[in-house]
Amino acid sequence: MATVTLTAQQDTDEFFKQNCTSCHTIGGGRLTGPDLKNVEKRRDRAWLIRFIQDPQAMIASGDPEAQKLLREARGVVMPKVVGITKKRAAKILDLIAAESKLEKSRFAGLSLSDRPFTEEDRTIGRELFLGTRRLKGGGPPCLSCHTVNGVGGLGGGELGPDLTDAYARLEGRKVLGAWLASPSTETMAPVFKKHPIDPDEILPLLAFLETESKEGTPATTGSNINFVLLGVVGATALLFLFDYFWRRRFTGVRARLVRGQR
Amino acid sequence: MSEQIISLEDLHVLLFVVLPYLAFVIFLLVTIQRYRRQTFTYSSLSSQFLENKHHFWGMVPFHYGILTVLFGHFVAFLIPGTILAWNSSPIRLYILEVTALIFGILTLIGFVNTMLRRYFDDRVRRVTTAADWILYGILLFQIATGVWVAIGHRWGSSWFASNAAPYLWSLLKMDPQIAYVQPLPWAIKLHIVSAFTLIAFFPFTRLVHILVVPNPYLWRKTQVVRWNWDRSKRRVS
Repeated sequence: MATVTLTAQQDTDEFFKQNCTSCHTIGGGRLTGPDLKNVEKRRDRAWLIRFIQDPQAMIASGDPEAQKLLREARGVVMPKVVGITKKRAAKILDLIAAESKLEKSRFAGLSLSDRPFTEEDRTIGRELFLGTRRLKGGGPPCLSCHTVNGVGGLGGGELGPDLTDAYARLEGRKVLGAWLASPSTETMAPVFKKHPIDPDEILPLLAFLETESKEGTPATTGSNINFVLLGVVGATALLFLFDYFWRRRFTGVRARLVRGQR
Repeated sequence: MSEQIISLEDLHVLLFVVLPYLAFVIFLLVTIQRYRRQTFTYSSLSSQFLENKHHFWGMVPFHYGILTVLFGHFVAFLIPGTILAWNSSPIRLYILEVTALIFGILTLIGFVNTMLRRYFDDRVRRVTTAADWILYGILLFQIATGVWVAIGHRWGSSWFASNAAPYLWSLLKMDPQIAYVQPLPWAIKLHIVSAFTLIAFFPFTRLVHILVVPNPYLWRKTQVVRWNWDRSKRRVS
């Protein structure tokens, strides 16, 4: 619906911002994916359009160029973007070409502060992760779907991956920061497009995740078993409660009569 | 390969757009039609047969479990923001999740018990139709995947609020957004699909009793039921 009110150019800009900038810059260096500045000088347009439309299929087809990209991205497969079409892919390439000519593109990357993380950052980051401090944009807290070793209790969610070593895996604040600015996995994208993480919240989250990846806190083991146990124990307790509550229930006539005869 | 992926997308549209609307249309048309044409089939059909010993351990846990769990789903659909606010403290999240799991397990225990009774008790089995067995199959699948999702894809109460609720609302607003559910694990997707299947199958089964739960019982005055004969006299004669 929103596309109706946007001009075609704004539409492409917005699409690029929401779907591409978590892993790519134009002239800002490599994030998870390569810097896209002058990408058409490196690769053929037709190839690019095919790749953008379905990266997974290209990789699976054994295309050597796609395989090389996969290795460079340390095995991170570019997701197939929802709503991508041949026409849209072409428009994105036009946008990249236009932005590549500029001295500094709007998409040169997130201007994230380089200041060292403070203790306060870590505390706020932890609160944001757990949810005790709500994300300004109204998005769900990380704990809903992710866990890290230091969570404690019954742990974090398991819908998404364990983020204990996310900071190390993505090699630090630049890449992970860009990622948080516009989470692009298929599960997170629709949610966080509507409720983006505030730029002020990214640094604290990075600080917290850095600590988590460094500290090597042992994993909260058994949280899953404890959860199941609590469920089973609770259900059993309720069964006893039902039995007690309906202790005068009708359980049949015959057995009682037979007992009475003895 | 690419052909396969395209067909997977079509499958998603079929399961998460076509199926839900189809299910609701069937549900509405057939429940109304059945109520008009066969009013007195609106019943759960008693299966007690003067027996409460085994039935108790099926009926009671199942109904308390399923009503609580369904209520939870409904609330999370209605006010997802409030659920997220409640879950903003991990301890409250854990309390909600453990409670939900307890009632989920209770539902499963109760349901398996009714199923066993229905199969092993001759009198009950004789009045069990094919539709009943199909319904039992879908319901068992629904409950089992529900418990599985609660344990294996935690924390459902939070991601239901952020992913499932917007999807369900988008269906209601006639602007289906399957991007919310498409990337979810298959256990969750099957749980959703089986729920829509249940809604479609609902009007053909004894589940219609839910629509005519003795609703006025909740607010009407209590009634004193008294046998209309004199016991003492009867004993004399």
